[in-house]
Amino acid sequence: MTTSTDNNPVHPMGADAQPQGPLQGFKVLDVSIMAAGPWTGALLGMLGAEVIKVEPPDGDGTRWVEPTQMGMGTNFLCMNVNKKGITLDFKSPQGIEHAKALVAQSDIFIQNFRVGVIERLGLDYDSVKKINPRIIYCAISGFGEVGPLSKAGCADYIMQAYSGFARTNGPPGETLEAFRFTGFLDLTTASVATEAVLAAVLEREITGEGQKVEVSMLEAAYEIQATRMAEILGAKECPEPMGSQSRGLVPDRAYPSLDKEIFVTAHNDEEWGRFCLAMEQPQLQQDPRFDTNAHRVAHREELDQLLMPIFAKRPALWWLRTFERHRVAAGLAHQFETFRYHQQVTENHMIEQVHTQDWGSVSVGGLPWHFSGTPCRITPAPRPGEHTQTVLGGLPS
Amino acid sequence: MSALQSIRMVELAQGVAAPLATLRMHDLGAKVIKLEEDAGDWLRQVEPQMPGQTMSAAFFELNRGKLSVKLSDHPGNAAAQLRHLLRDADVFVTDKTDAQLGDLGFAKPEDSLLLLNPKLIFVQITPWGDQGPWKDKPGSELTAQAMAGYTRYLSREALPACRLGADVAGAGSGIFAAQAILAALIARRRNHQQGQKISISLLNSLLSMKSIHLAAQTNPDHYSGPRVGGANYPPEKGWMTKDEPIFFAFGGSVGAQGRPGWVKFIEEAGFNRLLDDKRFDPIGRNSTGYGAKVQELKAEYEREFSRYSGEELVEMIRKYAGNAATYQSPAASIRHPQTTALEVVREVHAKDGQRHEVRAYPARFSNMKLTPTGVAPELGEHTQVVMNEFQDPTV
Repeated sequence: MTTSTDNNPVHPMGADAQPQGPLQGFKVLDVSIMAAGPWTGALLGMLGAEVIKVEPPDGDGTRWVEPTQMGMGTNFLCMNVNKKGITLDFKSPQGIEHAKALVAQSDIFIQNFRVGVIERLGLDYDSVKKINPRIIYCAISGFGEVGPLSKAGCADYIMQAYSGFARTNGPPGETLEAFRFTGFLDLTTASVATEAVLAAVLEREITGEGQKVEVSMLEAAYEIQATRMAEILGAKECPEPMGSQSRGLVPDRAYPSLDKEIFVTAHNDEEWGRFCLAMEQPQLQQDPRFDTNAHRVAHREELDQLLMPIFAKRPALWWLRTFERHRVAAGLAHQFETFRYHQQVTENHMIEQVHTQDWGSVSVGGLPWHFSGTPCRITPAPRPGEHTQTVLGGLPS
Repeated sequence: MSALQSIRMVELAQGVAAPLATLRMHDLGAKVIKLEEDAGDWLRQVEPQMPGQTMSAAFFELNRGKLSVKLSDHPGNAAAQLRHLLRDADVFVTDKTDAQLGDLGFAKPEDSLLLLNPKLIFVQITPWGDQGPWKDKPGSELTAQAMAGYTRYLSREALPACRLGADVAGAGSGIFAAQAILAALIARRRNHQQGQKISISLLNSLLSMKSIHLAAQTNPDHYSGPRVGGANYPPEKGWMTKDEPIFFAFGGSVGAQGRPGWVKFIEEAGFNRLLDDKRFDPIGRNSTGYGAKVQELKAEYEREFSRYSGEELVEMIRKYAGNAATYQSPAASIRHPQTTALEVVREVHAKDGQRHEVRAYPARFSNMKLTPTGVAPELGEHTQVVMNEFQDPTV
């Protein structure tokens, strides 16, 4: 097996590799399934913690979720990097005892069972902290642990609907469009959970005390919509779909050119001035309809009527080079095959190939942060129960 | 007690990513000094503004509780101010490129910053990464979404592009930056007070968050279904009911085996003709929600769903262990009783007594009771105070 690292992009390494990163020395017990919980464990593993993923005897459901690659769900392959894998049967007393023994050795515990289930297993926070008072207990739920929907099931696309996320996407005049399935809000939840766990770990470094951390998909969905939620709370305006345009900035949209769309943004009046020069329309800069962002937002349709015929005269690549010369943010739309080998993506390790023993090579998202002093790396997901004997064999008898 | 009570952060950044990261550090107890140049953070000018004020609603939310210092218009003085503030800081978060930091007196920024302050955690957030041919190229939320292929999974190839309405590149990078700061602070406590540099980029964040799609498209056994359908799929708008669209799935996930609960739901709703339709597969992997046959079977569902309201269907589906929700507006969602129960929306108070609604820290801790505080500063509001506190000779 091989894996990748910031310092050494590809070298022989498997799921047994010694963790490295700022969390080196920390142990995580991850009994979560599907995506939001597992990617929390994966992020902590990427940060250098030793993560033990516990699966039921019939495996995490993502092993069968389509699409598969050489028979293994690709969801499983990407959501469980940087982990050791063990199998425990929580329906048996022995399985629960093993889990509790592992809890005693862990710094962080991650679970995303529906509210009520974890109590029946005896792995709720009150039970776990009796075993290990220093543990950081991360409970991930769909709608939170209190309230009328606390026991309702959830998943990414449900939260896209519930949280309003889908209601801000789509062409102007439409009412909604969901982001076709990336599990985006699952991963957002994992990201927020990781942040909160790290805050609790830091607190423990100071006080010596563990605590429970509750994270819901709902609150995470609001966090990723931070600016849109601010408009509702601060300006009493509800955002709506605007195609490629943004509500607050003009120009900031895709313009059709002679051949395809060019995506352009001017963040402030200085960039607006350079945008006007790039468009060879210097007179627009001081036009009172367009001289401030507030005026441009108020007159966005007039401005677009002026700009559209100009964009239409030249191809997107011409505009791209022109905006680059004038230091205005501009770009083209890409897709997997055009960005996966793009020099900017590869040089910054934004996508990594992990080479598994049984399921071939798979592309996963690269490390989201690059630490100069405590570099991290990505290792492949474990085979089913690959480390059960090693891990359980190391428990005190 | 909160984790960052003795931590001082300096932010020289605009927009969404860095300000969101430092906002959350403020919520955790850190002191955040926001440095601004010229006309200030561009987010100040973004619409909509708060009623009766010249303050962007987004700027207010992301910058409450921070101290604003306006850097000198004279480059030499600005560099001296920055140097002075960073000498004893714990964390420096910036969206400046290496070249721009060089203009502020920090050539080879990582080396020079850590030489100035060896314990400093230096977080650099760029659009495209700090290596490669685009390391100095300007970028934005929109251009990052387009580059990361996000626009491919909205709209349809022949139609005008759509972006995600949420600023996912900025907010996602902000969350990753917050993680990185906390992880580096933990490492610093255990590692003889050593600081380090952390690189984050909008594009990197979006691609990391797209891991499911990347893996799905590597070499799938079957090239079908919503994860790999890409631009060939029509826009996804759920299933229409008598009054509003809903989303639903049995079995808990895309492609999971949801047939048992689905059968009970179908029987209660009186959609029995679907039970005999062979396109609804026997284990429910492809047909009881957002499976591979979602487009083929959509019309069949909608014919039956037209007899019920969205809320009625959601209630029935949940009764049989399915997942479902109506498509709410963000405004309806944040005022929903469930959101209220979680106390997501709180109030902060301005000096004049005016109250402002903001969102609380997006997680809750059993030991740390976090309460949002502070309002957003005017440009340069705290310049004198901060520079006096740190005895800056240039002021």
